[in-house]
Amino acid sequence: MNCLDFRRQLLTDPFCKDTELLAHEADCPSCAPFARDVRAQEIRLRNALQAISPPDGMAERIQLAARFDQRSTVQRRWWYSAAAAVLMTIGVSMVSLFTTSIDRGNVALAQSVINHIEDESNHLHEAQPVSAGRMNRVFERFGAELAGNIGTVNFAAECLMRDRTGVHLVLPGKMGPITVFFMPGEMTASTLAVNSARFNGQILPTSWGSIAVVGEAGESLDGLGERLAAAVRWPRTDTVELDLLGRGTLIAARLTQP
Amino acid sequence: MATLRTDFDTLVKALSPELYRYAMGLCHNPATAEDLVQETFLRGWRSRDDLRDTKAARAWLYTILRNEHARLYERQRPEVQDPFELPDVPVHGYDTSPEAFVMRRALARLGGDYRDPLLLQVVGGFSCKEIGQMLDLNTNTVLTRLFRARKALREQLSDQPQLEANR
Repeated sequence: MNCLDFRRQLLTDPFCKDTELLAHEADCPSCAPFARDVRAQEIRLRNALQAISPPDGMAERIQLAARFDQRSTVQRRWWYSAAAAVLMTIGVSMVSLFTTSIDRGNVALAQSVINHIEDESNHLHEAQPVSAGRMNRVFERFGAELAGNIGTVNFAAECLMRDRTGVHLVLPGKMGPITVFFMPGEMTASTLAVNSARFNGQILPTSWGSIAVVGEAGESLDGLGERLAAAVRWPRTDTVELDLLGRGTLIAARLTQP
Repeated sequence: MATLRTDFDTLVKALSPELYRYAMGLCHNPATAEDLVQETFLRGWRSRDDLRDTKAARAWLYTILRNEHARLYERQRPEVQDPFELPDVPVHGYDTSPEAFVMRRALARLGGDYRDPLLLQVVGGFSCKEIGQMLDLNTNTVLTRLFRARKALREQLSDQPQLEANR
């Protein structure tokens, strides 16, 4: 090891115990004081950072926030259930008039999508494209992988939709941001409409769950959901259970690699 | 290593101090640092079932915090504390020595590309390989950035010309 290599390696890890490094230090009269100086600086750096301690009570505040967050989630689920029940009642009462039925689960899912967008509306303002690396990491958590070009994405994260986790994306659209939810395990029999005063979109069924594509009112979403669904390859599913409503429910935890 | 689901409180107690130090190294603002740590744990809590490798919880939380910090800067540029100034919090837990101020100033002046791996190594104690996985970099790039980060720190902290490895 020469002096150049020694100093380069020392600056990457001042407390490296490499025998070759230590041997050079012992033999070289010019590198030995350099090493002492680098280590002294490293100790000053560590002391400056280690001396920072968190504000009193921070851990307790975090624990409290987590409890509150959990309770909010439960309460929100209760609210969804209540809203879904009311909507189902309305739907049943309208059967005689319109000879149509409203699937409670589908309505609740569509409402959950709207609620989620409104709850996390701050993500609609993301303006910087996320990296390809982050995109890959987000999907990798589900055993999925990008198989095509999704285009510009300004926000990508895991999210909780009802009682399952999925992928939350925000893409730039012509009328404003477009929100996309990949929802593994959320099985729907057919395409569902997602509408509110501000947003419109749809939930498309896929073999692994469903995908919601929602934009500002007036946004053209033709073919976008299908294109995004084709751009992500999901692991095959091996277990499907039926819940009390007879709706196919895939257990997300049982997603398996091909 | 405990899991987020079974032992969230223990993880908060054990990891929040070092995550706070990491956050301070990134943003230099005590209030923002606390918000970042809290948001990190909440995001971790919400996605607790998604953590398949429980041994990776610590690195996972560091990654969440770094992403939250990046996202914060994308949304809004928070007020950055001047490392020369005392923070707007009680001095408790903050080294007010001139030496520490100078060191924090030098650290704050490093570019993010160099500061991130250095903080992960010094505060988190992660290996170069682990840092590479967290930052999406190969190990050689991490080594180069650590070398340049410390070299830049030395140049800032020393008035005298040093015999450096990289010329």
